[in-house]
Amino acid sequence: MTHRRLILSRRTLLRGAGASLALPWLEAMSPAATTSRVPKMPVRMAILYMPNGVREDMWTPAETGRDFTLPPTLTPLANYKGDLNILTNLWNAAAKGGDGHYVKTGGYLTSTTISKTLGVDVNSHGISMDQIAAKAMGSATPLPSIELGTAPVTTGVDTNVGYTRVYGSHIAWLSPTQPVAKEIDPRNVYERLFRACNPGKSSGKDEVLLLDQVQSDARQLRQQLGTADQQRLDEYMSVVRDLETRVARAGSGKKMNWKPRARLDAAAKPDAMPEKHAQHVRLMMDMIALAFQTDSTRIATFMFGNAVSNEDFTFVDGVKGAHHSISHHQNDPEKMRQYQLINRWHVEQYAYLLGKLRDMKEGDSTVLANSMILLGAGMRDGNKHDPHNLPVVVAGAAGGRLNTGQHLSHTPDTPLANLWMTMLDAFGAPVERFADSTCPIAGMIRS
Amino acid sequence: MRSRISLIPLLCLASLASAAAGPETATDWSADKAQVLLGKYCNTCHGGKASAGGFNLASIAAADSLTSKQTEWNHLLSRVRNSEMPPKGVPAPTIEDRQAFVLWLETNLRRSACAAGPAPGAWPMRRLNRDEYSATVRDLLNIQVDASHGLPADGAGGEGFDNAAETLFISPIHAEKYLEAAKEALEYGAKDPKSRAVFLIAQPGNGTTPEQAATKILDAFVPRAFRRPARPGETERYMALFRKALLRGDSFDRSILLTLNAILISPDFLFRREEPNAAADPVLASDYAMASRLSYFLWGSMPDKELFELAEAGKLHAPATLTAQIERMLKDGKSREFTERFVSQWLGTRELGRDIKPDEKLFPEYYDAEIQAAIRYEPVLFFQEILAKNLSLLNLIDSKFSILTNKLSKFYGFTIKEATQQPKVLNLPEGTHRGGVLNMAAILAVSSYPQRTSPVLRGKWILENMLGTPPPPPPPNVPTLKDNHAGSPALTLRERLEQHRADPTCATCHNRIDPLGFALENYDVLGRWRTEEEGKPIDASGQLPDGTKIAGTDDLKKALLDRKDIIIRNLTSKMLGYALGRGLTLNDSCTVDQIVTQLTQNDYSSQTLIKGIVLSMPFRYQPRARTATITSKKP
Repeated sequence: MTHRRLILSRRTLLRGAGASLALPWLEAMSPAATTSRVPKMPVRMAILYMPNGVREDMWTPAETGRDFTLPPTLTPLANYKGDLNILTNLWNAAAKGGDGHYVKTGGYLTSTTISKTLGVDVNSHGISMDQIAAKAMGSATPLPSIELGTAPVTTGVDTNVGYTRVYGSHIAWLSPTQPVAKEIDPRNVYERLFRACNPGKSSGKDEVLLLDQVQSDARQLRQQLGTADQQRLDEYMSVVRDLETRVARAGSGKKMNWKPRARLDAAAKPDAMPEKHAQHVRLMMDMIALAFQTDSTRIATFMFGNAVSNEDFTFVDGVKGAHHSISHHQNDPEKMRQYQLINRWHVEQYAYLLGKLRDMKEGDSTVLANSMILLGAGMRDGNKHDPHNLPVVVAGAAGGRLNTGQHLSHTPDTPLANLWMTMLDAFGAPVERFADSTCPIAGMIRS
Repeated sequence: MRSRISLIPLLCLASLASAAAGPETATDWSADKAQVLLGKYCNTCHGGKASAGGFNLASIAAADSLTSKQTEWNHLLSRVRNSEMPPKGVPAPTIEDRQAFVLWLETNLRRSACAAGPAPGAWPMRRLNRDEYSATVRDLLNIQVDASHGLPADGAGGEGFDNAAETLFISPIHAEKYLEAAKEALEYGAKDPKSRAVFLIAQPGNGTTPEQAATKILDAFVPRAFRRPARPGETERYMALFRKALLRGDSFDRSILLTLNAILISPDFLFRREEPNAAADPVLASDYAMASRLSYFLWGSMPDKELFELAEAGKLHAPATLTAQIERMLKDGKSREFTERFVSQWLGTRELGRDIKPDEKLFPEYYDAEIQAAIRYEPVLFFQEILAKNLSLLNLIDSKFSILTNKLSKFYGFTIKEATQQPKVLNLPEGTHRGGVLNMAAILAVSSYPQRTSPVLRGKWILENMLGTPPPPPPPNVPTLKDNHAGSPALTLRERLEQHRADPTCATCHNRIDPLGFALENYDVLGRWRTEEEGKPIDASGQLPDGTKIAGTDDLKKALLDRKDIIIRNLTSKMLGYALGRGLTLNDSCTVDQIVTQLTQNDYSSQTLIKGIVLSMPFRYQPRARTATITSKKP
């Protein structure tokens, strides 16, 4: 993927989107003049998903534009104010019905309405924006994307509302019928990154032989299957094929023009699965930072918890209960106070990641400046399960492609998909449309 | 407290309504009454020329439509049951009418679906779930390590279990982990003579060529790994890989391990699949398919030698053989896998220590490894004991024994001389307030908040997991439970719930939920007995929707015993769903009915349930061919 092609496709995009823009403007917009001097840096993208929404009166800055004051919940971001895009009045229209949590989680990054089911024919009806990015750009790095979390998929089905809890445990969708499982053990993430950063040292040849054999097995098997079973088999074969491509690429230096951008710090290897949530989250933030620093992958999604997470937050000073219970604050001032403390804790972890990424120098720049790190939730007030005006903040300038240091307030009920479209564009994987998107977010892409 | 309160007699299946739906029962409804309700609330959008969403009431107006238009009725049922129809903002039936209508429709759809008797449902190909993968690799290679440690957990579908074919998805991480796990497991096994004796059964030398040794190993390994005889040419394809490795200079061991590695990542190993039925009628599953159905149901692992031999001899389907095998399999330690997976998911105790954790500061007693294990395993071992000894399933509701350690009985507040450090079947002395799953710490903790007990959560737990009648989600705009505010007199939770129930919208469900939960208020978050909380005596009294007054756990258990057929029916559905590895269909409810009848005729003996499931049509048969599913399209 060359920079040249990227810019061409962005032009196509803009025309396709119906923007009547004169060519000279486009030329001016392209950073061609500067890229000859500045080595180009890869753009990274992470989505950090918070379950159970936020306390709304403490999330949104009062002023819009560049001159705004951080509201109480966002004050941990004081050191990064210039790196932020705080976005107001975005919503996911597809998640307005259904139930309180599952539709707002399973369909968060797809902007689609998930099928209501306890299991049969699970369908998100969309590919999540991170996986669209991974399909477009994933071959540039050893791992196309990483999906992380702290909790395993929640057990059981929710017979109350009629959804399998699979929906509440995934935000990444490889295909509409394939939710992407999360890695929740930081040590496993480290080992995955380690292998990615040390290609050729493992027995890549064996793996290619084995994966070849599997595919020939599958071809034999496929002929004996009915259509429903074929689909399952094809899903397996597609992940096997992708793995083979990755292994083969890593094994031959020629095919892959990739080397780690930084040495993977052996001291950063986590010891064991952490028992404490706070420590667990920190380690996952470290893993995202390592992945981005080494350029093992450029795409990460992370779920602080599954939908309806009732993580015990008494480890936060002043909090006396569990996340989901407190999010149903019923406007009780005491519960709302605790709810805000929990929200704020999430923002602190986000700030921790931003700090790590900013400390990672990359040429004259930093990994943070070359990234888009998003913190958001699928609902606003958890007490109301409100899908309007979703809390969302993006940090990093995507290598200079984004304006930062601003609070952008939109017309109420502007599609969140507009942001997905904008981020895909800045990432270098532009799409003409994303679900219900209408246009890119005004003022975010640098002109 | 212990006086026998008059319960309405004849609480049988129809009383599902009184326990679950409210005062009105299905028998009060008729097709005419249902049509009146549909006409009143649905006609504007789905009647006359209006066919919103492509649906018109005319299509289900005929008297025989419950039989001839099941798809349409089913669709309508799910929309109305989930309160999605009528949509927000237009007149809707009362909650009572809605529930009575839903009950009427369910009952009648079930009746018509069963008119022709049970039929086998689909048996889709499914990946081994994480636990099954681990156990299968363990048994295949005779190793004692968990090969699945790097695999992600599986979500649940159908009846709520993680072995449901429909939710066993594949992620990129699976391909990586399968590759690693197989390599690790094989290398581990190759180092242990006991394992080698099982899967590396030949060595070159002494006149045996590497080719001969490899052939011998593969001829034995392929059928075990694929749980069926090798197909013509199948072993040969793996021999080709073996030769390739040998030719490039790999040692014999390395070459054969690489070949076995390929088998362990083959879809034939990783997925359970049966030869599709091409006939127009249901057929018995093949003997090999039956061996796997049995072994994954009762062991969560591959068939053993005896099952394979019976399959090879074509004897497995004989009912006497199946019965004998069930008894043998339940005695085997591997059946722990089944009870652990089934019980922890059915009762929801798997979430204990995951998403549901008692507050560490308020309940430090829970944070002791021995107590935690004893609590977690009590319901599992209890169920295991019921199965192994073929005891009555009604022990689940109330029993005179439990499985306790010394520490757990002390934790519960009593001492039993015979108790040891290891869990043991122990008779419960009088006055322990224990017996049945409802008084077990695991259940009481998993239906509490981390900081306090919740009659609502516990009531909901009973409705969902014991009775199988989950309350619907709160209707939109339901007023929330009012919390105590500064200045206003502090109300107890009971008083606040009473306030809540004064609102008729809330009362419909909370009249069902709350009394069940209040009856367990004598148990704290960890399930320890208490008679007061914060200095106030515990009030465990309440009134069931049918007017029955209950106070405390003994009355609750009596009331539940009076509804034993509902509870047994729910358990049967859950276990049938687990055994089939899929969600149940309306037609499956005929099978459930048959098994429940067998159970009532056999004193609810636990093995009757297992045998009823194994001998049932859906468990033994494959459905008739659906023309659309048989294709031989190339990719």
